[in-house]
Amino acid sequence: MRTSLGKMKSVLVLLFVILAANFLAAQSLRPGSDGDVSPSGHVQDAAAAKQPAVPSGGAVVQGNGINYHNGPVLKGNPVPIYVIWYGNWTNGAKASDSQLTVSTIETFLGSNALGGSSYEAINTTYGDTTGNVSGHLNFSGHSFDNYSAGAKFGDRSLPGIVSRAISGGLPNDPNGVYVVLTSSDVNETSGFCRTYCGFHTHNTILGNDLKYAYIGNVDKCPSGCEIQSTGPNSPAPGVGGIDGIANVLTHETEEAITDPDLNAWFDASGNEDADKCNFKFGPTQTAANGAKFNQTFGGLNWMIQMEWENSRGGGCDQTLGGPFFTN
Amino acid sequence: MLQARFGWFAGLISLIVTLTMAAQEPVKPALNPRIITATRQVSIFTDLETRMLRTIQAKDQAALNSLVSDDCMIEMPDADPLPAEDWMPSVLAKNYVLKSFLIRQVSVIDQGDSAIVKFDRVQQATYKGAPENGEFFVVDLWKKSGDSWKLANRYVAKVGPVPWMPKTDAKPTGKQ
Repeated sequence: MRTSLGKMKSVLVLLFVILAANFLAAQSLRPGSDGDVSPSGHVQDAAAAKQPAVPSGGAVVQGNGINYHNGPVLKGNPVPIYVIWYGNWTNGAKASDSQLTVSTIETFLGSNALGGSSYEAINTTYGDTTGNVSGHLNFSGHSFDNYSAGAKFGDRSLPGIVSRAISGGLPNDPNGVYVVLTSSDVNETSGFCRTYCGFHTHNTILGNDLKYAYIGNVDKCPSGCEIQSTGPNSPAPGVGGIDGIANVLTHETEEAITDPDLNAWFDASGNEDADKCNFKFGPTQTAANGAKFNQTFGGLNWMIQMEWENSRGGGCDQTLGGPFFTN
Repeated sequence: MLQARFGWFAGLISLIVTLTMAAQEPVKPALNPRIITATRQVSIFTDLETRMLRTIQAKDQAALNSLVSDDCMIEMPDADPLPAEDWMPSVLAKNYVLKSFLIRQVSVIDQGDSAIVKFDRVQQATYKGAPENGEFFVVDLWKKSGDSWKLANRYVAKVGPVPWMPKTDAKPTGKQ
């Protein structure tokens, strides 16, 4: 009888353990109801936190106000940039939801524009233990997505959007950067316009660790995401979307290249190279339409933020080796 | 008899286990964090909030005065509102030491002449030698004052202990 009671107790204990484990598992598996993740920042590598990176063949330069945390950088020459135009980029709600924006932004990303500029060359001051960033990028393909995730979505929809673009013909390229650009009627619910103008991250998609960025049409919130309502490439006064997008695109591509897996280059506050110069433009000139600009390449003028150069003590500049500016 | 009771009990628990497992939502793959490009307002108010905390660290009364309106109130859970004239001396006192801080998850609602700023603040501090560490949820109301902004109201609540310590290995270059 005692043996029987003992067995019963054991079985009961076992069942309770299963039940408790099951409840605990259920708690940890459920994400937020809005389908978003908090922008909680970087992956702090435990080893990196304990000891500084030691260059071993590459050119990892420290001590310029930004630190290396042992992760890889993108070293493609050039780094391919794939653009996914999401929503209505033909005749959307805002004047900048247009094919002019599509063609101008794709020109901007070309190897004879941003991709081969002395501005992009600032990125060559970053590297990992196997080599440096090339300082070159190139527009390498696009796809159009007709609201496959609707006009309102959260961060969790982005891997699917990238995945569908690849299934539709874009390469599955772990060494490139995918940029999802949404028209002004699309609402990215995790904080576009309220908290951010864009973001970059990475996830495993179709078997590869793919790097991607999200950028909305900043004409949706010019006061938050544009430096001026009329830019040097505005087709009409007050239509600043092209230049605002180009500025955020510059920021995201720089960071996606120097910190693709969120474990390479950032400072003690978690700021990546472009974060350290966000909305800082340096000296400007004035275009014929009255807009300010600070760069000229690809046959057009541009107003894009400076980038943090990882040399000479560190600072924001407009070209590799150029003077540093604080604003 | 006892075995029959045990059988019922075991059956009941098995049923609960089965139902609980069935109630679980499908597992969604975890997303990695993201690194944002802050809006202009988020950049501006992150700088202002950071500057205010640095003035507290430096015990710079003039600088703190320039950031806080005369009628500012600090509101905390289960406490009377604290007027700025009482709050400022307490954080500028020598016995309050703000060792380190980190501001994160800033969002801003821009209303033109006013702005509502929400953020999490992680801090290491002591007051009269006792730890004042923790993570705080802060909502600030800033109002335009000429060309600058002044803190008009603060709502602050401690949400927990310090989740992780801010890194302090980097030497400030003065250019950040």
